Amino acid sequence: MAAPHPFNMSDKTSDQALTRRSFLRGSAAVSGLAALAASLSPLRELKDFTSTEEFLQKYYKELSPEEMKKVLARIERQVEREYGIRPHVRDLRPMDGVEFVYCLNLTRCIGCRKCVHACVAENNQSRNPEIQYIRVLRLPHGSLDLEKAEHRYEAKEVPEKGFFYMPVQCQQCENPPCVKVCPVNATWQEKDGITVIDYDWCIGCRYCAAACPYWARRFNFARPEIPKERLNPQMAYLGNRPRQRGVMEKCHFCLQRTREGRYPACLEVCPVGARKFGNILDPNSEVSHILREKRVFIQLKEETGTSPRFFYYFDK
Amino acid sequence: MEPSQPVSPDRRHARTEVTLAAVGVLFVALAGLFVANLWGRVPVPPKIPLVDKKFLEDTPWRRSYQDLVAAKEDLSDFDCFACHEKNKPPLIRYDANHKIIIPKEHANIKMGHGSHDRNNLCYNCHNEANLLTLQVRDGRELKFNDSTPLCGSCHGPTYRDWEAGAHGRISGHWNAKAGQPKRLACVNCHDPHAPSIPQREAAPGPHSLHEEDAAKPGGGPRRPSH
Repeated sequence: MAAPHPFNMSDKTSDQALTRRSFLRGSAAVSGLAALAASLSPLRELKDFTSTEEFLQKYYKELSPEEMKKVLARIERQVEREYGIRPHVRDLRPMDGVEFVYCLNLTRCIGCRKCVHACVAENNQSRNPEIQYIRVLRLPHGSLDLEKAEHRYEAKEVPEKGFFYMPVQCQQCENPPCVKVCPVNATWQEKDGITVIDYDWCIGCRYCAAACPYWARRFNFARPEIPKERLNPQMAYLGNRPRQRGVMEKCHFCLQRTREGRYPACLEVCPVGARKFGNILDPNSEVSHILREKRVFIQLKEETGTSPRFFYYFDK
Repeated sequence: MEPSQPVSPDRRHARTEVTLAAVGVLFVALAGLFVANLWGRVPVPPKIPLVDKKFLEDTPWRRSYQDLVAAKEDLSDFDCFACHEKNKPPLIRYDANHKIIIPKEHANIKMGHGSHDRNNLCYNCHNEANLLTLQVRDGRELKFNDSTPLCGSCHGPTYRDWEAGAHGRISGHWNAKAGQPKRLACVNCHDPHAPSIPQREAAPGPHSLHEEDAAKPGGGPRRPSH
């Protein structure tokens, strides 16, 4: 420190209330408290408190039928509180003797993206930010090089000259890498071949999204936004019930429809009949016929050893 | 501060107070900004418009004769004998290039069956002996609401695919135990006079999450400005 200044004496002896030290102390306290308040302020916007019931809920596979009933009732209450619509939430289990397979005709697909939006409507996906399970890739004729694929093509009219289209969604692999990496077993493969996610068990680590070679998993980075008038009230626990922020979701072959015997929404809306779905264990099903008779293109990214249940085929 | 010109204690006090007041204002402003959370707030992304409901429709592109009957639509177009005489097949005219000349009464028909213009004789499918029916080359006579076997008489592989469910649209149930599937006929999608599928309007593509992605080439539809 420098030599004492002649005026320092006057500072010490002065009886003014505000010394530099007390001022700095006070200011630090004020801005510290403000910073604390600011850091806590996101709590003001917190809407979805996890209920005790939800927090203490057991693992899906360990739930007894009575407990499952309570869980479904809890979800119905939550959805009604948020959207004002009483949904019908069910726990649909896989059927015996059924293994689902999807076939997509690349000769027929015109890239109109109707499947994308029918899927969003059926499965209560977030509209803002957008979550879409199906990506329609546009590829130049004469190549199946995915490096040349473009899924954000802006075409007024489809199909465009010189291109073909290849919709990609969850391939429901027989050997799913996403299931292997899940640290909490929140995603697993059921016996009808559908890989499902328990949205109440997912911790949001996103390992599965990193493991998936098809970019088929979608994460709810933000709170999903679904307009009330577009909510589909026919829901399933492992299917299309509304998701919360911070959980993973993906195509589940519309299990709320298919486990009832109906076709998935993307197939129903396809205007050219390029999408085919059915039970591979039934030799008379469309998919059995296609895999037997048609020129079936190898499963997508076959070399990764995932063995998808989603097949692409050609007519000619 | 220049030591050669000593400042009076009063002026020094005044200067200290001004400085302290300024720092105080700064601190209070900072505290205000903290509480208002100006840094931590995530910018609200602009709204994405909801997709037009017409893209969610699963109705077929065309209505077959059967659908028109079921919907009690105007069937005057199928009332052949309102203009044509019975048992007198109408004459078909061709121009110099052997292209069919479509009379103005049938102006709604666009001929384009096949990539060439050779399949342009109406009586390849229509029955000249009875205009209310269709005829197959093997001699079968079919009604307008049963035209699928007629298509199949030429397009064999496609017909077999359709029978097996590999061609064409099916809706309803994959599981016959739960309900019968509904299979569309050829004419629900294809115009028999010009069967190739014309270009259609595409539904909107994915919206970019970030403005800077949307600016890149092929960045997808821009978000509307807010």
